[in-house]
Amino acid sequence: MLTLLGIRHHGPGSARSVCAELEKLRPDALLVEGPPEADSLLPLAAHAEMKPPVALLLYPPAQPQNAVYYPFAEFSPEWQAIQYALRQRIPLRFMDLPYSPPAVDEAEPVPQPPSLDPFSLIAEAAGYADGERWWKHFVEQRRASGDIFQGILELMSALRAEVEPNPFPTAAQDLRREAAMRTIIRSTQAEGCQRIAVVCGAWHTPALLHPEDYPEDARRLKGLPKTEVAAAWIPWTYSRLARRSGYGAGIEAPGWYEHLWQTQAQIVESWLTKIAHALREEDLGLSPAHIIEAVRLAETLAALRQRPLPGLPELNEAVQAIFCFGDDAPLRLIHEKLIVGQRMGQTPAEAPAVPLQRDLAAAQKRTRLAPSAAPEMLDLDLRKPLLLERSQLLHRLNLLGIPWGRLETRRGAKGTFHEVWQVEWKPELAVAVIEASPWGNTVLEAAGHKLCADAAAVNELPALTRLVEAALLADVAEAIPILLQRLQQTAALSGDVSRLMEALPPLANVLRYGSVRQTDASLVQQVVDELAARICIGLPTACLALDDDAAQAMFEQINAMQHAIEILQDEAQSAAWERALQQLAAQEAVHGLLRGRASRLLFERGEEEPTARRMSQALSPGTPAAQSAAWLQGFLHGSGQALIHHPRLWQVLDEWVAALPEAAFTSLLPLLRRTFSAFPAPERFQIGEMARRGGERAAAAAVAHALDAARAEKALQLVWRIVGRDAP
Amino acid sequence: MTDLLRQHAEQQYAEELAELAKTDVRQRPPNWKLSPWATAVYILGGKLENGFVVTPKYIGSRRLVEVAIATLATDRALLLLGVPGTAKTWLSEHLAAAIAGDSTLLIQGTAGTAEESIRYGWNYARLLAEGPSEKALVPSPVMLAMREGRLARVEELTRIPADVQDTLITILSEKTLPIPELDSEVQAVKGFNVIATANNRDKGVNELSSALRRRFNTVVLPLPATLDEEVDIVRRRVESLGRALELPTEPPALEEIRRIVTIFRELRGGVTSDGKTRLKSPSGTLSTAEAISVVNNGMALAAHFGDGRLHAGDVAAGLLGAIIKDPLQDKLVWQEYLETVAKERRDWKDLYRACKELQD
Repeated sequence: MLTLLGIRHHGPGSARSVCAELEKLRPDALLVEGPPEADSLLPLAAHAEMKPPVALLLYPPAQPQNAVYYPFAEFSPEWQAIQYALRQRIPLRFMDLPYSPPAVDEAEPVPQPPSLDPFSLIAEAAGYADGERWWKHFVEQRRASGDIFQGILELMSALRAEVEPNPFPTAAQDLRREAAMRTIIRSTQAEGCQRIAVVCGAWHTPALLHPEDYPEDARRLKGLPKTEVAAAWIPWTYSRLARRSGYGAGIEAPGWYEHLWQTQAQIVESWLTKIAHALREEDLGLSPAHIIEAVRLAETLAALRQRPLPGLPELNEAVQAIFCFGDDAPLRLIHEKLIVGQRMGQTPAEAPAVPLQRDLAAAQKRTRLAPSAAPEMLDLDLRKPLLLERSQLLHRLNLLGIPWGRLETRRGAKGTFHEVWQVEWKPELAVAVIEASPWGNTVLEAAGHKLCADAAAVNELPALTRLVEAALLADVAEAIPILLQRLQQTAALSGDVSRLMEALPPLANVLRYGSVRQTDASLVQQVVDELAARICIGLPTACLALDDDAAQAMFEQINAMQHAIEILQDEAQSAAWERALQQLAAQEAVHGLLRGRASRLLFERGEEEPTARRMSQALSPGTPAAQSAAWLQGFLHGSGQALIHHPRLWQVLDEWVAALPEAAFTSLLPLLRRTFSAFPAPERFQIGEMARRGGERAAAAAVAHALDAARAEKALQLVWRIVGRDAP
Repeated sequence: MTDLLRQHAEQQYAEELAELAKTDVRQRPPNWKLSPWATAVYILGGKLENGFVVTPKYIGSRRLVEVAIATLATDRALLLLGVPGTAKTWLSEHLAAAIAGDSTLLIQGTAGTAEESIRYGWNYARLLAEGPSEKALVPSPVMLAMREGRLARVEELTRIPADVQDTLITILSEKTLPIPELDSEVQAVKGFNVIATANNRDKGVNELSSALRRRFNTVVLPLPATLDEEVDIVRRRVESLGRALELPTEPPALEEIRRIVTIFRELRGGVTSDGKTRLKSPSGTLSTAEAISVVNNGMALAAHFGDGRLHAGDVAAGLLGAIIKDPLQDKLVWQEYLETVAKERRDWKDLYRACKELQD
């Protein structure tokens, strides 16, 4: 006898019905829709350390990135059926097509036609918005099982008879899968099992009812590609269960399903109480009276919509209207926590190795970098492909929290193409690899996912910039567009110009030196452009009303920005920056230090006439002395050498001093002294000399260059030794 | 035809209400003129079994309307929240018209609303002549609604001073209104309920005490969900307003309206319509109503100072006025928008230039 239990994957109602039905049937063999290659792993499901959600992972050892997953939650009918079979010690087998690589979306240029869900047809006939709702309503929410599987079988038969001439887009693959299922059923029957129970997606049930009637199965299954695959149990999470996976569409609310599975009575009341508790933790004052009212509203809504029991939509609406006062933000707060759920599964330690371990081993072999317990220094010349690959591997592992190597010197210290690493393999790193395995099956993929997750978690621009830098160093190309997008979004929302200014220079470096790392940095260009535009617009306002410390910090940032703009060599940006500087120089309310700096930068861009005017305004008696001093400090900061070697700068300053009336000069003297005293003594001496000679640099230079040839020769010899050559 | 400037909802849609009542066989809560189901049809529109077509009164989420009706059916009071111009008052009027057949028991909340408007007042001539008596009592709309099992509406609840708001607590929880002067009370008849509206931008005005808040189920009415929906609303309103104001302008090009609505939606939502770029949002509401006024304003400019056709230059000034409410912060937001979004769009060159001109 063959009993077909048609289910919806991950449906708690289905699971309940399956359990009851199995208890009643007492089958002597159980077949479950799933990958036949994983049969040998099934006994592990009963292991004491096995805690769902877990997933069966099937992958070709050569290409772990082509893995397919079969996730199971506690409330999955398949999981409950497996548990039953293992408890009863009856033969248990998976049935489906052997592994075939998942379809890669990019490979298909034509967009797939919208997939036609068979249940949506029934739902439409019954007046429901979608098939999911219908199934939930009629099957999942049932508390008593009755003859439900017979009903499902009949319904599906009728439905398939209706749509068969008009097959679904995936029909060919479905037919092959059903042929494979039938083959497995027939072989189980041939082994002499009398009462076989089959747990599979409801849609397949009509095709499996009479497995003996399909002589064409062998032909249909001929010529399918055979791939060698490995299988493993891996821990899964509810949030991943909510996404697409090996069983097709994910489920939207694993947390709610778990509640439906675990709760026998008063589902609505206990769910709303759970939500109220979670919201209380978020500091929303909710009393039992709120819960009572929410239950009443949910039930009235269900009645208005002619449902027997409130479903998740009704409950969410009641929660929003009563717990959250109409606001949906608190609801989003608990969405991850309760509706999706945060449960993470666990697999026994003796389960087979994860693909990430294999990929790491392969990468170690490829880069000829064997794990060794002894610390070792590696000097990597990034112009050599092998060494570049090593560096990328180490960077990626660091991103994954597997600190095999520590970067001793950053590039830049020894040129842009050298990295020095200290590598040391510790036993606990193996654990780190397992821990990182949920991120992906290859080091590259995992690093990409980890980066994206990290990026989603941080809201600080500088932290994001660091992630972008790390991604570029590790050459995780996939993550870069996502990181940059995140950076872009954060930058757009950030009102803090100084944060933007912190973020820009590293990106400018990336743009400038990106080619060394063979990274396509063109994506960065767009972000840099936007950042620069935002900074130039926001800078004048951001510099208003700063105190001395804040002005000093901003001063450094303006210098860094200037450097970045110079590196970028972009005319539009340069022009925008110039406008921003002009505004800065002109605004009275801006700290003198910054105005001085802006004037100086403008001067270097060739604005001589306005600079002279700005200088005399800033230093005129109407301006408070402290501001004048700050202006001068900003203007001349660190430019003793520039004064000496830049005749026009000298001229502007000199003309201004010369034009001062005597009384004004006396009162300004302290300010000038304060600024000039910051220069090193030799520079001050030279400036003094120049002033005495009316600004003639040559003469001053001559004084400085009166050389003692014999002493210079000694110094030269040392220099040659440092450079590492023999003296000519 | 009537010569009233504006009719109440129950007058204007009397025929629809009568038809609905005729075909409505579902169970009605006590003192309801229509069943909750028929009320939903009245608000959202639909076709009755006898072929009669009910026009939609509220275009938007069915879910929200259902929550609102279910709330009134549970005898909890209903609070409609939303930024100005999201049809809160409109919805409350139609709910009252459908459920109670009467939308006139209305209290307009202002900073000067006194307790008497919510509980009861006195006819002082009578009070002095005869002493406290039933006859000297002037009932409030709430009191009338309680006596007759109808719906009372409170507009702009958050503008009412907090101590006056709290008068509602006893009414909503005990469903009774004590009259200590007469040593009596008015107990609410079944069917009584309160629909309040409040502007959630003005939260700070007189926020509800948590005790009062707990007596309300809150439904937040959103701004229009899609660009097309909003463009459609703006176009209809602008055309009808243009007729009313007798502007000698051509009806504005749909493209221009779409552009304005796009700007409003993007700034309001903080993200460009293609979802790629995040933006800062200005401090103002940027409601649909404001988009309507920008277009109207542009049309007036075009009619009286331009060539009668709506150009970018005509709307630029209105846009600036609508978006820049805070001269410092909003100006930055707008500049950023112009430079990072508007500038990049090829067919927006005229608008970009017009806005830049205004600014410099």
